[in-house]
Amino acid sequence: MAPPQKSDEEVAAEFTSYYLQRATKEFAEDLDKVRAADDFKNDALQMLVSALQQGTVLFSPEEQRRIVMASNHPAPKF
Amino acid sequence: MGKRSSRGPDGTIAPRKRQKVVHEAPTSEEIHASRQLQQLLSFSQDPVRARHGLQSFKLFLDELLSLDSNDADRFKILRGYLEAAKPAEDDENPVYLPDIMQTWSYGGQTNNDNIMSAVPVLLALLLKLLSQSLDTVQYGLGICRTLLQKRQQELIARNLAADKGKAFIISPTLRMLREAVSFDGGAIARPLFRARASMLKSLARNMGIVHVGDEAEDTKRPSTRTNAVLFFLSALRFLHPEAKKELLSQRDIVAALTRDVKQDPPYLVRELLAGLRSHVLLDDKLPREAKAGLLNASTLTRLSALYQYRLDTPAEDDPSIADIAHEFLMTACTNPSCGVLRQDSGFYPREIDPNAPIPNAQLDDLGLEAIVWMDKFKNEVPVRNYTLSNFVLNLRPWSSIKQAELLTSIFRAAPEIVAHYFLNNKSFTFEPKLSATWIGYAAFLFNTVTLPIPDHFCRSSSFPELPPPTSIVIDNILPPPLNQKALSRSLANKSNMISFFATRILVLAIEKLDAAIKMHRDPSHSNKTIWAEAARRLVDEFCQRSPGIKDMINAYRSIPEGDVLQREAASRLLRLCYEVLPQVALMAKFDVSLFLETSLSRLSKQEVDDPRDTALSLKELENLLAIAGYSPGMRWFAASETLTLSPFTLLLKVCVDTPHGVTLETIRQVLNFVAVEQQLVPADEKHPGLLALLEALQALRHSAPDSVALVWPFLDNCVTRCANAPVKYVEKIQEVISEAGLSEGSVSPIAMAMLEQLPFVAAKEGEQATLRALSRFLPDFLGFSAIAGETRPLLDLLFSKMLTHLADSKGKLAKAGVPEGLQFQHNPWPLVPEAKAGEAKHPVASQEKGKSELIMDAETLENALHTADGLEADNSALVKWSTKTADELVDEGYLTSLIALLVSEHTSIRKEALVSILKAAAKIKQSEYDEKEQVWLLLSELAETARDQIIDGPLPSPLASFACHALHILRDPLSNLYPKVNTFLTRGPFWNLDRLPLVDEILSEEPVVGDTFYAQTNWLLGYLIDGLRTPRDLELFHKKRAKGPVFERILALAANPYMRLPLQTQVLRLLYRATCIEGGSTTLTTRFGILNWLEARQASCTDNNEAALYGGLRRRVWETCDQGRVKNWSKGGLGD
Repeated sequence: MAPPQKSDEEVAAEFTSYYLQRATKEFAEDLDKVRAADDFKNDALQMLVSALQQGTVLFSPEEQRRIVMASNHPAPKF
Repeated sequence: MGKRSSRGPDGTIAPRKRQKVVHEAPTSEEIHASRQLQQLLSFSQDPVRARHGLQSFKLFLDELLSLDSNDADRFKILRGYLEAAKPAEDDENPVYLPDIMQTWSYGGQTNNDNIMSAVPVLLALLLKLLSQSLDTVQYGLGICRTLLQKRQQELIARNLAADKGKAFIISPTLRMLREAVSFDGGAIARPLFRARASMLKSLARNMGIVHVGDEAEDTKRPSTRTNAVLFFLSALRFLHPEAKKELLSQRDIVAALTRDVKQDPPYLVRELLAGLRSHVLLDDKLPREAKAGLLNASTLTRLSALYQYRLDTPAEDDPSIADIAHEFLMTACTNPSCGVLRQDSGFYPREIDPNAPIPNAQLDDLGLEAIVWMDKFKNEVPVRNYTLSNFVLNLRPWSSIKQAELLTSIFRAAPEIVAHYFLNNKSFTFEPKLSATWIGYAAFLFNTVTLPIPDHFCRSSSFPELPPPTSIVIDNILPPPLNQKALSRSLANKSNMISFFATRILVLAIEKLDAAIKMHRDPSHSNKTIWAEAARRLVDEFCQRSPGIKDMINAYRSIPEGDVLQREAASRLLRLCYEVLPQVALMAKFDVSLFLETSLSRLSKQEVDDPRDTALSLKELENLLAIAGYSPGMRWFAASETLTLSPFTLLLKVCVDTPHGVTLETIRQVLNFVAVEQQLVPADEKHPGLLALLEALQALRHSAPDSVALVWPFLDNCVTRCANAPVKYVEKIQEVISEAGLSEGSVSPIAMAMLEQLPFVAAKEGEQATLRALSRFLPDFLGFSAIAGETRPLLDLLFSKMLTHLADSKGKLAKAGVPEGLQFQHNPWPLVPEAKAGEAKHPVASQEKGKSELIMDAETLENALHTADGLEADNSALVKWSTKTADELVDEGYLTSLIALLVSEHTSIRKEALVSILKAAAKIKQSEYDEKEQVWLLLSELAETARDQIIDGPLPSPLASFACHALHILRDPLSNLYPKVNTFLTRGPFWNLDRLPLVDEILSEEPVVGDTFYAQTNWLLGYLIDGLRTPRDLELFHKKRAKGPVFERILALAANPYMRLPLQTQVLRLLYRATCIEGGSTTLTTRFGILNWLEARQASCTDNNEAALYGGLRRRVWETCDQGRVKNWSKGGLGD
């Protein structure tokens, strides 16, 4: 049975979470350095997360759906 | 005489000393009856007795006001007293509570601070109590009116103006006024405001008397400032708009209102923001100017200090003060009715008129230079939003998300501020540094670049006559901190995150640039030339700010292999460069095949755990495929040193191995396109192309996953051979057709290649496993080919030939034959009717319907194919060149302008141009210019060629155009055409007037430098387009020559399936040029059958836009030709 269609909001939320997860993985080392920087205080963490995730706007809703839906189709088992 | 006052005027008797203020607590007694109250409050000159009465009454009221006591008896006592203290009804000047008022007055006369304080305390409480019940409102109103009488007004004014230290007098008075102004829904607010000279006395000063002390202000003992602000807010609430306007125009009060807001207690700040929001910002009746009076730049700045408000401890669900202030500022700054935001005109600064009439002749002569303000705003931009533009400079968008949001919202509401902001805020740079501040700044810049371009660059419903200043457009696309140096350093930074941030910003910027260019090229412009020039200038400016393509390529190269997020972004950036800035992108020697191979090998290894990573990698692959499409010379069928398979086969492998559900439409389309172009599969629209092969491979992967891996080398060998020698296999097909005794039939050339190569696999030692895999795969492939519409008897014959080499000892395969009734399960074939009826999702589906009906309208066609005259005469060139240096002559276009004059209609100008060219040649030869010899040679040969010719008429345009274009080649010894142009120049002292230089050399000879055939062809077409201007030029194009007329060769060139759209379009531009010349269309039709050629090209298009382009050009040819002659010529075949 086909999985139920996700709404655009769900797709966007899921994509954002994937994007952040991917970014934290790829920039783990850099993020540690930023956290150790002198000016990392108050809103900085929030700012950092927001800065990372703003890149999601570069992906159209269709592209986001395409990437998010990939996880619903794991490689077939034989 | 009474007792000498301690503050006597003489002050000589005793040295003046600060008197210690001693607040002796007054005595009091409990009240049991109205009569008792009357007696207690009756006027007395004894201050002790007076205070005793007042204090007793105060305590009595306190108790009544306390929540838990609702004592009817006490209330009765109060009413009794009020009734007794009521003035007579016929009294002209009725005074309520006359005793208390008299006591107050007496207190004033005797400077008794305690009484001066006690009376307002009492009245404030009383009014508060009386406002709670409808029955008692009349008494309250009476008291309020009494307060408005002259004597009381003076007392109030005196109280309000008391010494700063006497908060115990000022505060209760303010409380009393607050109760009065809001009493009975503001019933006396209007007369109270009329008496503002007294009532608002020292309000600004009192707003400045703040709470002093280390501990926070006690809510039960509010400071004078708190009381003053609360009184002001109540007044705002109940005053009518006119009065409010007057109140808000009191600059000292407005300034004092927010001066100390940062130190105010949280509840006051909340009340202040809520009050100002409801009764100023959102009050529709209050005129904008009145609101603007309050919301000036300093008020906004002070309110923005609340972003850092520290005294707040909100409950969990309550918004913080920073949130409320943010909400307030967002409304104030972005809602035009709030009085701050003023209507701007987008990218056009204040003071200029973008519709000012400029004579066409002036625009034609001077271009953008005719617009005096075009370059005026590089350092300063006048704005209409003066308040906002000053306010935003105080924000710190890099350290606070909310401030960044506010700033970008302001930018969105008033785009004129963007350029102004960055020009006036130069202190901050984008110099990369791995810190929170840099990231905050990058995020803010990202948001700024994301902002859309205003419609029509301004607020009107159509484009103005003149384009906006380029500097302002570019500042909105790449704000000044994003300069070439900072961006290049960011891209090259060793921190991947910094490089990633810069990449993302650049992606956005190029997308925005693309949008801006499209707006510049909008067909509705009345002055297209000037807009086109502005667009070119915009691109130039962008290229000066953006890092070079090499930096982008290096950044992409340095990304670790597994970091798909970064790889996707970097490949997208490169793709955009190819799409939007091809002139820049093609300058770099970027071999996309290497990257494509890396990406393919990673994908084909299937090492990633998360399918979403695969999907992201596929995005990267798509980007690379698009780049491959734009870059000529992509080798699809050549395996490299690092890869065992060719890119084509690898791409096929990616399609087969990718998990089900991941959309691969783009990749499938590319594969199919290449397969059809390379003749691996029949180029029949009814044939699914490569899908049969893909389906067979996917079926095999399902049924026997291990076998697929064995098939790839065999398949790669077959596709490579087939692609390298397609004719050979087409001939083999003919042989098989005859062998089967058929007159015609269809089968894929790739199947023939498989048949040819199978014996070699069978003959090899140790290939049993491969043969077993092929025994599973080949029957299915042939079966799917049959479903795809290929001729079954032929496929049966092929299969029987294959059988001899396959592992079929038991004859099972032979018995089964080519399977029937297979169904496509992984690929959309045959197309289901619903899919056809709906949106065409499959590329084949979109080709079917009415392609010949696709015709682009004349205007769009002109936009797509019209090119400006590259040899347009500019007679001023004759004067301008003489003062320029050799470098300037060559590099800044003075020479090309001179050369262009050789095609002038006027003999005298041509002659003068010739003399000037000779002089310029001599000047260059004597200069230090690097390429002086070659340039001199070119100019001298040109002069020699033109010398006799120009007496009779203009020089043929192609020669002048060639000279101009060749000059650009000579400037750059690294150009791939450098050897050819030099060889041409050294061949002889003058050029043949009947020949078009370098056509043969480029079209028929080896390109000499690497794989640059298409680049050279592009150059050739460029000069030919510029060189086709007159009927005489046209003759040179259709004149018979040894290798055929030039037009014929160009049309043959366009039939080259590997030629990409940009080059195809150049050919169409040349044709379009010809249709603009008298007799051009007729010649094209009768000599070269152009109408049929265009029709055939249109039919083979896979893209509807492209088909429409061909259709549009076809219509233009027909409309511009001599239709009668063409009908005769075609014997009626055309034109019906």
